Amino acid sequence: MAQKYELKSKEVWDGNTAAAHALRQAQVDVVAAYPITPSTPIVQTYAQFLADGYVDGEFVKVESEHSAMSACVGAAAAGGRVATATSSQGYALMVEVLYQASGMRLPIVMTVVNRALASPLNIHGDHGDLYLGRDAGWIHLIANNPQEAYDMTLCAFKIAEDSRVRLPVTTNQDGFLVSHTAQVVEPLQDEDAYKFIGDYKPLNPLLDTKNPVTHGAQTEEEWHFEHKATQHKALMESKSVIEEVFNEFEKLTGRKYNLVESYKIEDADIALIVMGSAYETAMIAVDRAREEGIKVGLVMPRSFRPFPYNEVAEKLANVKAIAALDRNSPMGAMGALYNEVAGALAANGQNAVMTNYIYGLGGRDTTAEHILEVIKETNKNAEAGKRVTDLQGFINLRGPKLSFN
Amino acid sequence: MKNIGNLKEFACTPDRFQGGHRLCPGCAHSMIVREVVNATDDDLVVSTATGCLEVCTSIYPYTSWDVSWIHIGFENAAAAISGVEAMYNALSRKDRLYNEDRKVKFVAFGGDGGTYDIGFQSLSGATERGHDFLYVCLDNENYANTGGQRSSATPIGAHTSTTPRGRVSYGEKQRKKDLTMIMAAHGCPYVATAVPGTKHWKDLAQKAAKALSTVGPTFINALSPCTTEWKFKPEETVEIADLAVETCAFPLYEIEDGHKLTITYRPKQKIPIEEYLGRQGRFAHLFKPENKWVIEEWQKNVDAYWEYLQRREEAGV
Amino acid sequence: MATPKEMLTTWDKIQFGAVLPSFEDPEKKIRSKFHSYNYKVADWRVEKPVYNRDLCIDCDFCWVACPDSCFEVEEVVNKRGKKQAKIVGINYNLCKGCGVCVDVCPTPIKSLLMFPEQIDNQEALNQWPKKEDK
Repeated sequence: MAQKYELKSKEVWDGNTAAAHALRQAQVDVVAAYPITPSTPIVQTYAQFLADGYVDGEFVKVESEHSAMSACVGAAAAGGRVATATSSQGYALMVEVLYQASGMRLPIVMTVVNRALASPLNIHGDHGDLYLGRDAGWIHLIANNPQEAYDMTLCAFKIAEDSRVRLPVTTNQDGFLVSHTAQVVEPLQDEDAYKFIGDYKPLNPLLDTKNPVTHGAQTEEEWHFEHKATQHKALMESKSVIEEVFNEFEKLTGRKYNLVESYKIEDADIALIVMGSAYETAMIAVDRAREEGIKVGLVMPRSFRPFPYNEVAEKLANVKAIAALDRNSPMGAMGALYNEVAGALAANGQNAVMTNYIYGLGGRDTTAEHILEVIKETNKNAEAGKRVTDLQGFINLRGPKLSFN
Repeated sequence: MKNIGNLKEFACTPDRFQGGHRLCPGCAHSMIVREVVNATDDDLVVSTATGCLEVCTSIYPYTSWDVSWIHIGFENAAAAISGVEAMYNALSRKDRLYNEDRKVKFVAFGGDGGTYDIGFQSLSGATERGHDFLYVCLDNENYANTGGQRSSATPIGAHTSTTPRGRVSYGEKQRKKDLTMIMAAHGCPYVATAVPGTKHWKDLAQKAAKALSTVGPTFINALSPCTTEWKFKPEETVEIADLAVETCAFPLYEIEDGHKLTITYRPKQKIPIEEYLGRQGRFAHLFKPENKWVIEEWQKNVDAYWEYLQRREEAGV
Repeated sequence: MATPKEMLTTWDKIQFGAVLPSFEDPEKKIRSKFHSYNYKVADWRVEKPVYNRDLCIDCDFCWVACPDSCFEVEEVVNKRGKKQAKIVGINYNLCKGCGVCVDVCPTPIKSLLMFPEQIDNQEALNQWPKKEDK
């Protein structure tokens, strides 16, 4: 039996430490992981927990991220709770197996510390890895600070393992800005955290060898579509389970999470959509803009997948102009967040003016001043009632102005 | 360790791998697999790399397996089974095993593509980590599942779809990679070569039984003559396997603890390699005068390797 | 035995996660409809092996070499009290007609021979070579 870890009601943790504690408290049966900056401390901290007797599960120190996710799939199919951590290139190496994990309906939890994808090589935060996994069939939850990294990871297990979901979940936190920034975190005590998640509920476990099952069959054209449609349905409908779990979490902790988070959106004329640590920066910018008389609000999908399109549209029902801020190089299109939100508005007959901003690639600073600038530009669109600014702009990029229309 | 006994007894084993699969008529894969999964009375969890065996035994909505089975991808059969084994250990420690009364063994199958090539890293990693599993390579010396491309297990001179014989080519240029020795160099407690068939069935079954009762990572490299890509008649599979052994093209041996080598079958009289090559269409072009040197090169390599095995066995180091 | 066409179903009724159970009743080892044992590959054959019980010595070579697990055996006890497998027949649903069994059959007159698919088994046995024909 693993030893209880004595926790104070307030701890000073960075995002990595917070995620590692959540994995420990979930009493994960198998962690298979490969270290990669900036998520390495999750793996190292977990190893120390194991060395000190706070973990009695297995920690498989694999030789690559591909094997990390493969061992996670094997372990999850075997019939127990499974988790891993990764970033960036490691995430990219896993991609093949991410699709397999979700297609096989295995509730694996992966704590992702978001980092840019090479080339050029870069170890700092952006959402290149998150966007890479967008269509992999996983639930992607967003955490903006260490407290949320902890909370989302606990919730992730409960969501993933719910019999109505049975899908893998990533929790995402920005590299360094969250993962390596220590803040006050209010953890649950070990027994309360575990009780919240509950015991693992097996489904078709390989290790129930009295009742052998075949996992990972080949489905060709007569079957594949039906399987993928069923999987998609589970992902779409996981929204209600996510909300249920968030409500239960609120009862336990008082911390309220929503499918779509917002800040001062109720009376806003314009809105910014942003995910990750920049959301908190944007809150400061919103306050300043409001001092200047611009009625601006913020919206963030807490879950990037399933994308809460109707809930996002509802939040944006009364705004005249919107800027979607994507922390990923869109490479030949508008950013994904722009596209998702534009689609959500179109589906609901809303026609706010929409623009797209690319920011923070490879860890580039995005300050409240930068976002204030975006707010002012967006306000011009609202005032004009049509788009008068560039369709796609770049925040804090050196050199002559770059934009696309 | 299961006592294999004679074939009359072994054939009483309830089969745990069944027909109705879509492997080619005369395929050696299923002969090997059946012997391996029947070589223990313990329960099994099997992982399989993408390849002939995988696609042909798990075409939805059918499975050919009477044991727990998982396929993930081409390159990760060893990583997958290492995860399963880790879960077994975790649940065992936490008193949560599904069937307390049953012993469970772990086996991974891969073709030479999934083992020698794309899956080598995950095999090496899982082996180095010391997971308790048996990895069986079904070595048919080419990527048969995708139409017979060369692999690093393809022997010199073989015609494959990516090393075709042609006006200026004699086929594959490289010698077969010596994976068995590479696995032995990992320090595995048990490594062996084997072939399917009637003459050496017991050699294979016993090696599988031994590997399955050994704690730690074990490896069997089983030659799997491929009627489709080696181009011989389906009914000749067993004959071709036997010829591989009698010519010493594929000698039968085992290595314990990474070093102690034992030859498990010694041909009474080593047959010239032409007898083996001449039976397979993939080598037909080697019998043209301008390619005869490749056969001579083969013979030299076979002789040298056989000599090496014998000297190493004698040395007992 | 359900054919793949009969097993076609709709997305709302499909096996969760494409996971296939081997057994309908694991205790009694009754294989499920998802087991390939209940699939038929007989149409792959142009020739079929016919088994002649009278000549068979139960060496079980055909059993161990058959790539399609076609040979049905029955456990019997021999004169010395040891269990042994007696070949009782061929599962023609599973046989693809590769001919390996005939190739490995060691009896002086083979106990297994290939015949055209259409021939009646009794007729094939009637045509079986005699010692003098060898």
